[in-house]
Amino acid sequence: MNAIEIRNLQKNFGSKQAVRGLNMTVPEGAIYGFIGENGSGKSTTEKMICGLIIPSGGSIRLYGKDYTNAEVRSKIGLLIEQPGCFQNLSVWNNMMIQAANLGIESAEAEVAKVLKLVRMEGAASNKFKNCSLGMKQRIGIAMALLGEPKLLVLDEPINGLDADGMRIMREVLTDITKNYKCTVLISSHILTELEKIATHYGIIKGGEMIKEMTAAELDASCRTFIALKAADMNKTKLLLSSRYSRVEETEEGYIRIYDLTEPDEVTEFLYNNGVTVSEIETSKIGLEEYYIDLMNERRA
Amino acid sequence: MSENAIEIRGLTKSFRGLYALDGLDMTVPVGAIYGFIGENGSGKSTTEKLICGHLVPDSGKMKLFGKSYKNPGVRVRVGALIENAGCFPNSSIYQNLMMQAINLGLDDRDGEIQRVLKIVRMEDNAKLKFKKCSLGMKQRVGIAMALLGEPALLILDEPINGLDTDGMRIMREILVDITKNYGCTVLISSHILGELEKIATHYGIIRQGKMIQELTAKEMESRCQVFTSVQARDMQSTFLVMNHTFKDVKLIDGYVRVYDVDDTEKIVDLLMKNGIAVTEIKKNKIGLEEYYIELMSRKEGA
Amino acid sequence: MTHTRELTFENPGFYKRLKGMLGVDFYRLFHTPMYYIFLAIAAIIPAMVLSMGGQPNAQGEVVKLYENTWNIIAADTPLYVIKNIGEYANMNMVFIFGGIMVSIFIGHDYKSGYVKQLFTTHSLKSDYMMSKSIVGAFSMMCMCLTYLAGGVFAGVLTGADMSVNAGSLLIAILGKMIMSLGWASLYTMLNVIFRRYFGVSITSSFVIGTGIPVIGAAAVLGNNSALNIFLYGSSVNACLSSNIGTLVTCIAVSCVWAVVYNIVGSVILSRCDVY
Repeated sequence: MNAIEIRNLQKNFGSKQAVRGLNMTVPEGAIYGFIGENGSGKSTTEKMICGLIIPSGGSIRLYGKDYTNAEVRSKIGLLIEQPGCFQNLSVWNNMMIQAANLGIESAEAEVAKVLKLVRMEGAASNKFKNCSLGMKQRIGIAMALLGEPKLLVLDEPINGLDADGMRIMREVLTDITKNYKCTVLISSHILTELEKIATHYGIIKGGEMIKEMTAAELDASCRTFIALKAADMNKTKLLLSSRYSRVEETEEGYIRIYDLTEPDEVTEFLYNNGVTVSEIETSKIGLEEYYIDLMNERRA
Repeated sequence: MSENAIEIRGLTKSFRGLYALDGLDMTVPVGAIYGFIGENGSGKSTTEKLICGHLVPDSGKMKLFGKSYKNPGVRVRVGALIENAGCFPNSSIYQNLMMQAINLGLDDRDGEIQRVLKIVRMEDNAKLKFKKCSLGMKQRVGIAMALLGEPALLILDEPINGLDTDGMRIMREILVDITKNYGCTVLISSHILGELEKIATHYGIIRQGKMIQELTAKEMESRCQVFTSVQARDMQSTFLVMNHTFKDVKLIDGYVRVYDVDDTEKIVDLLMKNGIAVTEIKKNKIGLEEYYIELMSRKEGA
Repeated sequence: MTHTRELTFENPGFYKRLKGMLGVDFYRLFHTPMYYIFLAIAAIIPAMVLSMGGQPNAQGEVVKLYENTWNIIAADTPLYVIKNIGEYANMNMVFIFGGIMVSIFIGHDYKSGYVKQLFTTHSLKSDYMMSKSIVGAFSMMCMCLTYLAGGVFAGVLTGADMSVNAGSLLIAILGKMIMSLGWASLYTMLNVIFRRYFGVSITSSFVIGTGIPVIGAAAVLGNNSALNIFLYGSSVNACLSSNIGTLVTCIAVSCVWAVVYNIVGSVILSRCDVY
């Protein structure tokens, strides 16, 4: 069963189409990385899943049921843009209010547990408005985790988190998906962080899903290449172009040869032609580059 | 101008007895892009708010461009984006920027607003109400607001928050441009060290309200240990050949590591002469992120 | 380091700084609906009060609240001790709505975080205090005018008595408008003190705006003209039997309090964390 199944979802704000015919399939237990430019419709989609705004058309099914189903909705944890907390109440009271809202029986123990998870147990008595950005973000994550949600919707949760915060975040997300069968929908622009945990990806542009794939598929579709550097780059490039078909120079000052797996052959070839490489490496295109390429392709 | 853009000595600030800043020192030269790094709650935002005059220090000295931080002439030239762009949600982006342009007493208000909107690629959304903006768009508006009126000092707190890849690239380009060409100074705090590393010329690392290290990007590079790792089909003979020529050679994780050799071509040359074609050779450096984590864990142990 | 442009700092003078801050506040005032809504409220209220029937007396007869249209603007004589709502409800009500408006206006500054831009670029907090006081006073003066228009319009419609000493009426209206400055400064100061607590700031503005403290004092002291040293006292003093002396008192009281509140507010702002 899929945790989220969206078909032909649409949302118009006045005459502006924020989401147009979006399809999305998130399997149970996945960490679904939701990627797209600013204003591409990520937050709008997430808000519709959480029932904060009403779709103009299309269907959203969560765990096989309609998204308005009360049972499913009580199992959603969310953090969209920033935690909605009462400014003048303490962190603890804010958490207790959400625990009451969810009808959690052992509220105090549960609140203490999630606060400990995000290392905020020492700041429980602080007023929310006195917390720093990173602390607020941690509180937001803790609030989303209350009541063992089956579906977590996180919009830019890494915002303002320090290195330690990001590590905790990764650990928590991996743990709840592996051990509690929770499903996570997470959007972020920090693709290198996302790459470390995501099992599935969805790439959105202009309100449409332009690509959905698993991490394994992404890995398979990313081309391998050999990157190298030498003292005389122009000569090196000429030499390589005469022998290999896909040679490119990157902005960082490396020459890349795509779809080739014998670097020693390259080293030897260049050496015999009077060029000594200073750096050479076999590598693979990462999520970030894949994404940028995909976006450029679409633009062209 | 020889003064520093920011000079802070012994700055202290407490909130109800809790010390947020405990004798902080900071020196930011004119024209620098100063990367301000620290954990959540270490006092970064507090420092920035103090510089902008949002908070009142308990004690300590703060000078901006050699003048008191209270000098109105200097303060008019400070652009800030702290935590979020403070904008009226019911007013349009254009109106919000217009108010700031009036506040700064700019002459060509409309032209200046169009200019900054164009920089952050928001010129088509000028009429949109601020509350309708997505997180990334709000951030861009905040940056545009900070750039209004050619500031001499930019204070940016987590400006990368919510920006997409394109937004981050624009951000990098602007910051490099204004510091190089207009002599602007930038103080920027971020947790995305990989991004910060691409542009920062100076670093300040803060922990529990104290500056524990200030260094230039060059110093930082030299402090990061460098070694060269080499891989070839026949690792055993590679190791033997290299061990014969260089002093400090180790075989770790399927790579031959050579320390203190900068000229990698020499290594390739040597190995080729011995009939070995390398499959991989690269210089390894500890990045800012690793350097920072190591520094933090070292301090924790101490 | 090589820069194409040398950094120079000019020290902006008092007028330039105030002009910038006033520009922001007036721009916002005219570009948001709140100001116009409050102008409308100020016009509707006197019309509503004037056309209200009145209160029944002991004999069960309905006594009209106002015999004269101009009583909706000001009372006949300065009455600090009030016996019925008719003696209380006049143009002084503008200061109650004005207080609420100033609270909302300043509250939005803090709620949205726009004060960050303002305080980053203005290190002298008196700029902020003065600008808000002036904008608040301007709004209240405008509300006085729409109040007047609303009152006269309703008076003509209901056919109430229109006879009045024109000179005293003019002085009363002018006096009340001048009092706006003092009131606006007071509200600005209150909002600066309670900047973190919007509910408290709006309540305090309302309570003080109603003049309850002065009315309370009058209940003890009687109709003592010494009460004119307070903003509410002088606002009441500007009545239909006022003369030039009343106007002078109004100007003096309003200005003195405006200066006091501005100084207190500026000191508070420069000593405390602002955001």
